Amino acid sequence: MTLLAAYIGAVDHFNRRVGRFAMYLIFVLMGILLWSTISKYAGAPALWTLELAQFVMVGYYILGGPYSMQMGGHVRMDLLYADWSPHRKAAVDTLTVLFLIFYLGVLLYGGLSSTIYSLEFGERAHSVWRPYMWPIKMVTTFGILLMLLQAFAELFRDILFLRGVTITHPQEPGL
Amino acid sequence: MSYELIALFMFASLMALLLTGQRVFGVIGAVAVLAALPLWGTGGVEIAFAQSIKLMKWYPLLTLPMFIFMGYMLSESRIADDLYKMFHVWFGPVPGGLAIGTIGLMVVISAMNGLSVAGMAIGSTIALPELLRRGYDKRMITGVIQGGSSLGILIPPSVVLVLYGMIARQPVSQLWLAGVFPGLLMAGLFILYIAVRCRIQPHLGPPLSAQEREAITWEERIRLLKAGILPFMIFFLMNGLFLMGVTSLVESSAVGALAALGAAVIKGRLTREVLENTVRKTLGISCMFMWIILAALCFGAVFDGLGAVKSIEGFFLDSLGLGPWEVLILMQLSFLIMGTFLDDTAMLVIVAPLYIPLVKALGFDLVWYGVLYTMTCQIAYLTPPFGYNLFLMRAMAPPDFRLKDIYLSVIPFVAIMLLTLMVVMIYPQLALWLPSQFQGKLQG
Repeated sequence: MTLLAAYIGAVDHFNRRVGRFAMYLIFVLMGILLWSTISKYAGAPALWTLELAQFVMVGYYILGGPYSMQMGGHVRMDLLYADWSPHRKAAVDTLTVLFLIFYLGVLLYGGLSSTIYSLEFGERAHSVWRPYMWPIKMVTTFGILLMLLQAFAELFRDILFLRGVTITHPQEPGL
Repeated sequence: MSYELIALFMFASLMALLLTGQRVFGVIGAVAVLAALPLWGTGGVEIAFAQSIKLMKWYPLLTLPMFIFMGYMLSESRIADDLYKMFHVWFGPVPGGLAIGTIGLMVVISAMNGLSVAGMAIGSTIALPELLRRGYDKRMITGVIQGGSSLGILIPPSVVLVLYGMIARQPVSQLWLAGVFPGLLMAGLFILYIAVRCRIQPHLGPPLSAQEREAITWEERIRLLKAGILPFMIFFLMNGLFLMGVTSLVESSAVGALAALGAAVIKGRLTREVLENTVRKTLGISCMFMWIILAALCFGAVFDGLGAVKSIEGFFLDSLGLGPWEVLILMQLSFLIMGTFLDDTAMLVIVAPLYIPLVKALGFDLVWYGVLYTMTCQIAYLTPPFGYNLFLMRAMAPPDFRLKDIYLSVIPFVAIMLLTLMVVMIYPQLALWLPSQFQGKLQG
């Protein structure tokens, strides 16, 4: 029991940190796109802006995913769900979250094999800038791993809740 | 088991699992990989991750977090307060005038963000209390806010059309321009409805009293017009520069986001709290969208691999023996029905890839169809049991608004949307004239 609680605490804390870092990447994204406009009119259009922006966007939503899950940001179809008691919600979630975990597991497997491929063959993007692909694949795979850890944290949270121990999500100021 | 049967089974299990209330992206992704593994073995494992690369390479998607940021910045910093006051003073004397003003406000907000959530937030925080205080009918109030805010996805910029453009491989700029007139037409019909209804039944939307009207001086009216300057600047920086060919589509979204940020600074409304809430909520909504798209792309890839497109085409054209228009109408109807149950992003990424090739094969214009699709989404937002705006309204409305009021309030607005949908179906030029004027002059 205490082990589960410690796991939840650690994962929540770490993912919140990562998510709050990712959250501010939106300003980086704005900066890159603004630079793209400026450089076009300064006579030397930057070739790397669009691709870099795409990499940042992937980092943004992949690394922000677990934090978003903590905040309850991933929409559910709550036609029936909304009217259930907290107990019933937790009970159903402990079963159905296994589907989520399975999907994330397959994603992670694909991510690992794809990253290893990129490292082995030095895969580059087909563009003028030709960036290496392994860094972004590594970030994506790492983000999926964090998402998987968060999904397990949600599962354990529900199990503990059903046994009478409530562990809430980290609370944000002003919420 | 035949491929058609597998496809049907996938769809059925998707529906069943969604009803359990598990996170939508998890359900879609799980059903997709559960079907892919037995079908293609080890090759099927890679499908899920491969979609993240596909998603990354589709650059108009970069606009999504930008427009979400913009919408939240506008609603969190309450820049729209003054704007509402302007509409209030100018339209107040007419019966139903405040409701008409609210629609006007929604059109302006829609021109500055791409979702309905910002309009909903602004409508419920600014317009709702004021309408209530003026003795407007509850059903009128929630109907106006829900209907008006749904314009956000039809009037450019529109996130739904960005996603549609990804699936249909159509230029987003053309799609956006195509949404302008249908959007304005729909807004106009909303206003017409409110004006007529409130003239017949004045208790639904009482005008300002004579004393109150006296109290508003002309200087004040003129002064309030200035409230429109800032939104106009934002609109110009984003859409104007884009239409003049200065910025590309993606760049203009970043300019728009920065302009919204700048407007909040100018107004002195950019507190730490506003910034924190905006940035955090933007992350939450963007992540929700992206993870759903990631999962739905995987589902779509599996569906595609099953040859589901061919079987649907065969079903509509050969088995039923229908003409192009009948097929089109049938598709819209099925979208409407599915839209009441499915999340619209999921619906787009799963169902649209099946329909779009068919629409093309029938010889219809895909830009025009994008507008029709978006209007179907608007209707889906308002129709129970699964409607975004209904959920938002339920969450944002004061407790004395009963669920029944909220549900019933949308009926006239849904009817008007259906009417607009039919008009645009019959007169495609309403959507297609504007984009034809800008053909080939814009940067993606």
